[in-house]
Amino acid sequence: MITRWFKGSSSQKAGHPFWVIVQKEIADHVHSWRFIILVLLLALTCIGSLYTAMMTIREAVPKDDSVNSFLFLKLFTVSSDKLPLPPFITFVSFLGPLVGIGMGFDAINSERNRGTLSRLLAQPIYRDYVINAKFVAALLLISVLLFALGFLVMGLGLIAIGIPPTPEEFGRMLCFLILSVLYISFWLNMSILCSVRFRQAATSALSGIAVWIFFSVFYGLLVNLIAGATAPSQAAGAESVISHQQFVQALSRLSPSQLFSEATVTMLTPSVRSLGPLTMEQIYGAIPSPLPFGQSLLLVWPQVVGLIAATMVCFAASYVLFMRQEIRSR
Amino acid sequence: MAGTGKRTSFFLLTLLLILAAFGATGAFAAGGISVYTPLTNISVTPGESINYSVDVINNTSEIQNVALAVTGLPDKWEAKLTSDGWSVSSVSVKPNSSYNLSLQVDVPLQVDKGAYHFQLNAGGKGVLPLTVNVSEQGTYKTELTSEQPNMEGHANSTFNYQVTLRNRTAQKQLYALTAGAPQGWDVQFKTDGKSVTSVNVDAGAAKDIDVEVHPPEKVKSGTYKIPLKAATNSSSAETGLEVVITGSYSLELSTPSGVLSTDVTAGGKRTLQLKVTNTGSADLRNLDLTANTPVNWEVTFEPKKIPQLAAGQSEEVTATIKADDKAIAGDYVVGMTAGAPEATADAQFRVTVKTSLLWGWLGVLIVAAVIGGVYYLFRTYGRR
Repeated sequence: MITRWFKGSSSQKAGHPFWVIVQKEIADHVHSWRFIILVLLLALTCIGSLYTAMMTIREAVPKDDSVNSFLFLKLFTVSSDKLPLPPFITFVSFLGPLVGIGMGFDAINSERNRGTLSRLLAQPIYRDYVINAKFVAALLLISVLLFALGFLVMGLGLIAIGIPPTPEEFGRMLCFLILSVLYISFWLNMSILCSVRFRQAATSALSGIAVWIFFSVFYGLLVNLIAGATAPSQAAGAESVISHQQFVQALSRLSPSQLFSEATVTMLTPSVRSLGPLTMEQIYGAIPSPLPFGQSLLLVWPQVVGLIAATMVCFAASYVLFMRQEIRSR
Repeated sequence: MAGTGKRTSFFLLTLLLILAAFGATGAFAAGGISVYTPLTNISVTPGESINYSVDVINNTSEIQNVALAVTGLPDKWEAKLTSDGWSVSSVSVKPNSSYNLSLQVDVPLQVDKGAYHFQLNAGGKGVLPLTVNVSEQGTYKTELTSEQPNMEGHANSTFNYQVTLRNRTAQKQLYALTAGAPQGWDVQFKTDGKSVTSVNVDAGAAKDIDVEVHPPEKVKSGTYKIPLKAATNSSSAETGLEVVITGSYSLELSTPSGVLSTDVTAGGKRTLQLKVTNTGSADLRNLDLTANTPVNWEVTFEPKKIPQLAAGQSEEVTATIKADDKAIAGDYVVGMTAGAPEATADAQFRVTVKTSLLWGWLGVLIVAAVIGGVYYLFRTYGRR
């Protein structure tokens, strides 16, 4: 179905060489076992998290006013103490990098090892078409996959709870899906970079996974270590405590997974009004009300910019590296 | 002879008067019949009935048939002789015996104060003079009175008066009760806890009527007179109640449109039109405008004080809200209070803080720079 759609669109483009490569890449991905495994993994994840949401959404309904509670968004965020399954956003933030790495770790080096790269470049195409097309094809697939999963959750949730989402809730969900695509594309670019750099596919995959594990497991420990070491003394004033807190937060925000989780939590939980430490002065007189969509977006805009910038920098690095590499036929 | 006769008659008259004054048997022994009652001089109030117990005494040895009649009765007075429940005009008395009967005299209501004389004639055989003192001026009218016709209170209070309706006519009367209150006043008559518009009062009886007065909401301070009238077709009575309204103090704070929410950019300013309305009925002086804000926020009012606000009038005030530049996005409560010494009004404003777009544009710039960089790479390496 996906390939048919892309075939249709590429035939409209009258066989522009770039889109031909993109189409070929998509076909390769779709027919590969790896992609099927990843899709199955994500689908299971989606069903599991939806099951959790179904079991616990009744408890999540606030007693006072259900109008303003953004119940539909809870499909993505609600978690249960009784069931060992995390909610959808946690799954995406955990498994998303795996999808990205899985789809990109052998993008260039497998072509090189099979000797098809030089044959490909013998065609009358620009050299950067290869890496661009590989990136775009994977990105398109990831987008389709994520949007399909997201809308699946929405649709099943709609059937199960029977409350339609408001336009604002729908916008927030779209934003969440776009953010997820962005996050996964960061890891995709990272693994493409590895595939350009390392000749062996296994090395590339391992290094990508190492980075992922570093950021998702060890980086938090490292930040805690630094925070503990640089913590101000007990007698220190509020000013220094706050500045230390901000320093620790800035440090943890170097991790893309931290940026992603802050952005998605804010997007899917409208009652989140601030991400940094709050002073009493800021809280006094504030009403615990949900933020409008635009303000939530503005709140996480730095995180979004950071993610976009990191993705693009990774892409640029792999691009430069690839363009400067020597390509010989074996 | 004439002198002797005169003297004799004078003597007889004096004797008669002395006998009458002592209240002894005012009996004429002539014919051996005498008429007796112990109470020959009675004081009564108008409208009362007097019951005399009269004995007709026969001193002869024969049966005497005595015709009885009341003479010299003033106009509108009524007398009735009864015995054993019968109305009688003559009695027969056994020899050396007496017969008791009763004489009822009804004093009318409309009678002047003073002494009235009349006689009970025993058909020329004896006469019983009687005197009735009417102790007060009699009336034939209705009275409507209130012990406390004046009350004071503010505009929201209820005034409860008690008036007494006294029927001094001879008949039972149905009185229609009306109040000539100004427009907007609510006057209710109540007897035994029920609202009524008319009351029945028996002749000579009195009835207490509760009058409940509700002033109109927007009543101005001052003294108001409420005339009350109880009327039948034949007689009527009036009285006046007095209500002193001290005026109410009440204030309202809102905006001309009634919207109590606004938005402000963090660190920015927002002007608001406020409307202060004196909803009371008395003028207010020296109104102060104050605000209860989150920390580091500022609210300034223009003007800061309103020297005088007449009842029912409103004044517009411009408030400028300046948000703290560290305020987080979302809703804050800003309370504003307009207060005079007599009354205060407050309004809670929901102020939505918006984040400044400056950092957003900076982010766009960074993204643009990165895209520019990638484009530069494309240009440099891509197409050669």
